[in-house]
Amino acid sequence: MENQKLVTLEMIDLALAYGLILLAVGLARLQRIGEEKQMLWASVRMVLQLIAVGYLLHLVFAVRSPVPVLLMLLAMMGFSLQVMGARVRHRMPRFYRVVGTSMFIGCGGVTFFFCSLVIGYAPWFDPRYLIPLAGMIIGNSMNGASLAAERLSSEIRERREEIETAICLGATSRQAAETAVRTAFRAALIPTMNTMAATGIVSLPGMMTGQILSGTEPILAVRYQIAIMCAITGAVAITSFLILLQGYRHYFTSAHQLKESGGSRFF
Amino acid sequence: MVRLENVSVIRRDLDGREAVILDEISFAARQGEITAIVGPSGGGKSTLIRMINRLEDPSCGKISLGGDDIAGIDPLELRRRVGMVLQKPFMLDSTVLHNLQQPFRYRQAPLPAAESEEVRRSLELARLASDLLLRDARTLSGGEQQRVSLARALIGGPQVLLLDEPTSALDRPTADRLAATLKDICRAQRLTVILVTHDLRLAGRIADHLLYLEKGRVLEEGMREDFLARPRTVELRRFLSEPEDGEG
Repeated sequence: MENQKLVTLEMIDLALAYGLILLAVGLARLQRIGEEKQMLWASVRMVLQLIAVGYLLHLVFAVRSPVPVLLMLLAMMGFSLQVMGARVRHRMPRFYRVVGTSMFIGCGGVTFFFCSLVIGYAPWFDPRYLIPLAGMIIGNSMNGASLAAERLSSEIRERREEIETAICLGATSRQAAETAVRTAFRAALIPTMNTMAATGIVSLPGMMTGQILSGTEPILAVRYQIAIMCAITGAVAITSFLILLQGYRHYFTSAHQLKESGGSRFF
Repeated sequence: MVRLENVSVIRRDLDGREAVILDEISFAARQGEITAIVGPSGGGKSTLIRMINRLEDPSCGKISLGGDDIAGIDPLELRRRVGMVLQKPFMLDSTVLHNLQQPFRYRQAPLPAAESEEVRRSLELARLASDLLLRDARTLSGGEQQRVSLARALIGGPQVLLLDEPTSALDRPTADRLAATLKDICRAQRLTVILVTHDLRLAGRIADHLLYLEKGRVLEEGMREDFLARPRTVELRRFLSEPEDGEG
């Protein structure tokens, strides 16, 4: 394996690959889904973003200082928050604060644990490890966080009668929101559990594929993949848990009143 | 006794405009009596009753329970003293007994058994047969569910019972039977009962004291005979003369 030369991709190869996107746009046009322009724009954005991040990584790798690495991680987290804010249809009250702090603690904590104790490389800020690993943890947690936040919002809206009945019977806001929180947590974990169940059989994960393509021994790539899957699951669970733990409180007043039913609309 | 003094609710809409939902409401609901708040939909009746167990808070004014300002009572304690039955009974996905035990579960108190005095008494008050205890509450009829809801509100021994359109989802004979039960409970338990309804027939049958609420204001108040037989305001006369819409 180590004797095999890494196949580099030339511009002409990328142009060939891009042909597949044009094919997808053509099919969309044939079906008149009306999303062709958005598809093209998304593909152009993807190319530009990846080129930009490629140069940025090149620069960060060259500087060998923790500051640009941490700044880049913060920017990734900020961008993921912005993407979530735009995607989530029914935002919970104080969405950015709740999701931002939860992502910071969940992803930051797991990344620190994973990089310093599991992988244990030096220096701790080595961008070759820290940026891709944190990127995967943040990216996957973003999906879990979106699901948790959106599901909590819809559950509280749909279970309004149930919640108010519980409040009338003397429940605290925590007790009244318990079922909504539990359902939202389950929903946030399902994609990660499905991915774990399907990994290696239905699909080969991106990181493992990338490592194998760049010449890493498959067994070592598999070990990395197992470790990162564990880290992703932990980060998704911690981030979603913190979002729900903080988030449900914002639907209630300190007098255990459901805000949507009036508690916050009065002054 | 429940007393409201100059209670107002002002709500701000999305454009920032203020809307007066309740305007300077004052009245007293006495122990052992049923006070009915009647009036057209959208007049603020539900908002009014929801403030008495602090599902909502007023913008200004004072609500007192037995002389104590409810703003100074712990909300969880207040809701133990003030039971409430909502328009649509929400049944937990379990047995009737589980539903009756739920208030105890919330306050982490020992659960009363099926044979306990609390369960037996609440079933008796709500006129529910004890053989329903182990039935799935969600499979019961609308009338039975409303009675379970009533028994569940009474099991903790509240001083006040709030009823928000309790019969609006029931057919007429079922609603009449529930009304008779409510009257008996009020008398037997010396409860302060506050009922919100747009069903004049129900209010006329069981209420001792009535208030007519329209556009957030109490336009008329009186004891049953005077209120129904000798309305003083044009608005109440018009409301009394309107044909019933079949609900309740």
